[in-house]
Amino acid sequence: MTDEELFYAWLDGELEAEEAARVATRVAADPALKAAAERHRALATKLRDAFDPVMGDAGPPPRFGSAEVVDLASKRSAQQARRVAFGVPQWAAMAATLAIGIVAGQFVGDRSTAPVESRDGTLVAAASLDRALDVQLASAGSSGPVRIGLTFRDRQGNICRSFSQASASGLACRKGEDWRVEGLFGASASQQGDYRMASGEDPRLAALIDERIAGEPFDAVAEKTSLGRGWR
Amino acid sequence: MTSPSSFDSELAAVWPRLRRFAHALARDAADADDLAQMAAEKAFKSFNQFHAGTRFDSWIFRICRTVWIDAVRSRSRRGTHEAPPEAADGMGHDPTSATEAVIDLGKAMAAMQRLPEEQREVVALILIDGFGYREAAEILDQPIGTVSSRLARGRGALLAMLGEGE
Repeated sequence: MTDEELFYAWLDGELEAEEAARVATRVAADPALKAAAERHRALATKLRDAFDPVMGDAGPPPRFGSAEVVDLASKRSAQQARRVAFGVPQWAAMAATLAIGIVAGQFVGDRSTAPVESRDGTLVAAASLDRALDVQLASAGSSGPVRIGLTFRDRQGNICRSFSQASASGLACRKGEDWRVEGLFGASASQQGDYRMASGEDPRLAALIDERIAGEPFDAVAEKTSLGRGWR
Repeated sequence: MTSPSSFDSELAAVWPRLRRFAHALARDAADADDLAQMAAEKAFKSFNQFHAGTRFDSWIFRICRTVWIDAVRSRSRRGTHEAPPEAADGMGHDPTSATEAVIDLGKAMAAMQRLPEEQREVVALILIDGFGYREAAEILDQPIGTVSSRLARGRGALLAMLGEGE
């Protein structure tokens, strides 16, 4: 420690009693040091006083209580979903991160009924698709717009279901309360005429399922059992 | 042990000081408010890493300082490093202002801005907030000797800017 640092340490009350007493004696005997001590005490006071108003008008601190945070977060993600659900440019951007082919037709639709939306940067099933994945059994056939194909567990242990709707088919896997869309493939215009889209029939979807599946697809009983367990 | 409500009460106790620390580091009041807010959010998100029984103020000041450093670095990476605020102009050169007994917040912040960052943080912690050398050294992850010499240099520079002349 230099003499200067020792002097400041003394001024700040950082020295042990014995050393502090030694410095105090030196300062008392030296008018220049005495004046320096005065100046630095005044400087510290001046600086603290200048920052005082910030303490006074700090206002209430931000609060992160659990209930409020959940509300805020869901509100934010709802806003985000509204904002980004289904615009063609977003799709173009998302396609780069997913095994997505050409998506067209009914998938790009009205925002409130769009079957897929972006939430926190991932695509999740929404509206009719979300409901179908939640409650529809492939074994029970389908009267709605969505057809469910295979249900299986992927290598991470999540339940995945393939689906088709209108001119597109895809794969969604259960993550928490969401069905995360892992792949979405649209039929090209030329295909749509003579190519009846059904889950598993699109070769790209079939390849994706092959890549993800652990074991065999669920049979009707297993499918029904996992529905009862909330697809855990 | 680390429930959100206890985070809120810990934060409430330290909030005015955290805000003052942010003002001592940042270049203007708007940046300072952002900084304090961001530090609070970041601390909340990593509250599970806070060890109960240790000092919450040191912990959150450390987070605040990290957020500040990141912001400063990303600003200089973008090449948009801005000139110090106008309030700094002429400061410390004007003999009449140098002898004022009282300085306002703007002047104090401008003076802090003129200190190198590594001196500014030490002055903010020890001289303004009143942390001990050891606590400050821990927050900054620096040896006490380094902290003490930076404090000495910062003090000298501030005295030249704000204090009565030698």
